[in-house]
Amino acid sequence: MTSYTICVFTENTIGILNKITTIFTRRRINIDSLTVSETERKGISRFTIVIRHESRDAVEKLVRQIRKIIEVLAVFGYLNEDIAYNEIALFKVSTPIGAKPLDIETINKTYKAWVVYWHLTYVIIQKTGTEEEIFEFFDYIKPHEILEFVRSGRVAVSKSPQTLVDYLPEAEWEYYQ
Amino acid sequence: MGFNENQTATIQGSEPVVSVAKPELINGSHAVIQSLIAEGVKTIFGYPGGAIMPVYDAIYDYQDQVNHILVRHEQGAAHAAEGFARITGEVGVCLVTSGPGATNLVTGIADAIIDSTPMVCIIGQVASHLLGTDAFQETDVMGITIPITKWNYQVTNADEIPEIIAKAFYIAKSGRPGPVLIDITKDAQQKLMTKPFVHKKVETLLSYHPRMAPKEEQLAAAAKLINQAKRPFLFVGHGVQIAGAEQELIRFVEKTDIPVASTLLGLSSMSVDHPNYVGWLGMHGNYGTNVLTNQCDLIIAVGMRFDDRVTGDLSRYAKQAKVVHIEIDPAEIDKIMKADAPVVGDAKIALELLLPLVNENNHEAWKAEFKKYDAIEDQKITQPELAPTTEKIKMAEVIRTLSDKTKGEAVIVADVGQHQMMAARYYQFKKPSSYITSGGLGTMGYALPASFGAKVGAPDREVVAIIGDGCFQMTIQELGTIAQSGLPVKIIILNNNFLGMVRQWQQLFHQKRYSFVELQNPDFITIAKGFGIDGHTCAKREDLHASLDTMLASDKPYLLEVLVEKEENVFPMVPTGACVADIRLE
Repeated sequence: MTSYTICVFTENTIGILNKITTIFTRRRINIDSLTVSETERKGISRFTIVIRHESRDAVEKLVRQIRKIIEVLAVFGYLNEDIAYNEIALFKVSTPIGAKPLDIETINKTYKAWVVYWHLTYVIIQKTGTEEEIFEFFDYIKPHEILEFVRSGRVAVSKSPQTLVDYLPEAEWEYYQ
Repeated sequence: MGFNENQTATIQGSEPVVSVAKPELINGSHAVIQSLIAEGVKTIFGYPGGAIMPVYDAIYDYQDQVNHILVRHEQGAAHAAEGFARITGEVGVCLVTSGPGATNLVTGIADAIIDSTPMVCIIGQVASHLLGTDAFQETDVMGITIPITKWNYQVTNADEIPEIIAKAFYIAKSGRPGPVLIDITKDAQQKLMTKPFVHKKVETLLSYHPRMAPKEEQLAAAAKLINQAKRPFLFVGHGVQIAGAEQELIRFVEKTDIPVASTLLGLSSMSVDHPNYVGWLGMHGNYGTNVLTNQCDLIIAVGMRFDDRVTGDLSRYAKQAKVVHIEIDPAEIDKIMKADAPVVGDAKIALELLLPLVNENNHEAWKAEFKKYDAIEDQKITQPELAPTTEKIKMAEVIRTLSDKTKGEAVIVADVGQHQMMAARYYQFKKPSSYITSGGLGTMGYALPASFGAKVGAPDREVVAIIGDGCFQMTIQELGTIAQSGLPVKIIILNNNFLGMVRQWQQLFHQKRYSFVELQNPDFITIAKGFGIDGHTCAKREDLHASLDTMLASDKPYLLEVLVEKEENVFPMVPTGACVADIRLE
């Protein structure tokens, strides 16, 4: 199974998420992670969808089917080496009185993770990194009780020097300042 | 670098056609009808109901400009719109209400997307403040139709209507055509627009650029393969008819002398009399076309998608051949068959641009190979079917007699099953756009409403529906629509008292365990007469000619029921999972 990251640029309209995911559902392809946000251009959304598949051929067909959705401006399929990517994870870690204290120095310096919220009985730690780095930290922090854990899903940009403008030359979209 | 499917624009916007209505502000419903008129719509197939009543109130005022046809069931509206679109190349329009009105359209919409048929469905929806409340006749039509529409959109604001309808027509008709659904809430229909009505045709969209003219390098690569081929074989799909590329096809074929076979939906794109036409492809296609698919050295596929009913077992399909694939939908390239030379673009433009690049050629010896197989098929299947010694009439002789009597120039609208395959095999198509059937979805019940839609679209052509007794009962209510219109649609029921194709499979692959395929039928002629449609039953071979003559001579709708052999089978046949070269003759 190879991991593929599919970036979809769409007009930001109601129901577009449904239009995209139904293409995966019909082909029985499970989505590992999905993030959506507006791009540097107003009105254009960027979907970052991570899947695993044994057939590159099947993923290319999937990409072509996504391209057929009218609201879709461009679709790119990437292997991990084609992109810079990351996610954010938040860990709610139990710190009851009398328990072994957290080693904040290791958390900061070794794992590049930060406490973003303190409570009397727990802290919330934010860790940014690849899926592997996040799970390394997960294993490190596990001996302290993890009350809640959440990952954002992958965000990714391609390593190619091209910009969105290269693919959408005729667009007359408003840029953010 | 990853792979991408980004396309560049090939359609440039031209001067928009502006149609300015009365200066005063109009409501959403009037905007709907005026937009349809501005798009050139003359016929609407529809059925009223609660959530679409404001539009129906508006349409009352435009009866001199738009012909609204009241069907008997919304599925009938969808198939009639499909029949209309298939014969005219124009967009078929449906108008129905929310909830059940919309869900009844679903089969027709699914049929239209898989057979690339341009259609715009305008659906009423509950008022926007009721959305999501399980209001009376509320259904999530948007959610239901996402996978089966080329585009769908929900309108909640009257001001959006002209732009959205213009966009809908552009999307439905351009590129690879397909159905578009517009869901309009009742309040958007009722409210006044806040600005004067202006309908501008859409001719380009930011995110949608169907490529019409293929890239030069793709054409050059295709031409190179065509010029090198010793045994090239050209396949004609539905795309040829959609593009109106029949003349370009003939010029291309006459220069290159390449033999031509057709898919089910490509039938009639080339006259059966043309010396290069060698027959029909696929499961019930001809012997030679199937066997020689696995002996050609190049397939030139024009506007077709290598459906599994064409290819049989893909792992043993044309492995020896290179493939030139001319196709407007880039997602079809490499979807089933790897293309050595893909040509993405419109079939008409592609064939026109390829013509100067290909060499004149002579493929007499190669074409003669098809004749050898034809002789075997003729002796083993065709002749016994056309001149049977059995007592009962055979489907083939009905079709061929009809073909002779109409000089191969009628529009045949076939339903789904054995009669569909027999109509495809035995009607001698001489004119383009003459075979309309549900190919991809295989929708039983398609033919009666579709034949009506075709007759509306082409009133000057003889339109004959070929329907099985099973199919007929799926949309039988549309006899009412036909009767009310008075249009002389000719209907032939080939009645074998069986769901014939299923029965054939049960005989061949399920040890004759006939599981729920025998029908106790009503008296079809009495039913037709009840609707005010004349008809009669033909039970004997000696009456067949006179029966067809009576039917064809009628200037009103007419139903001819022909009692045919109960257990006849359609051959040749490539059974599911078999290789095209292993086509069975018995």
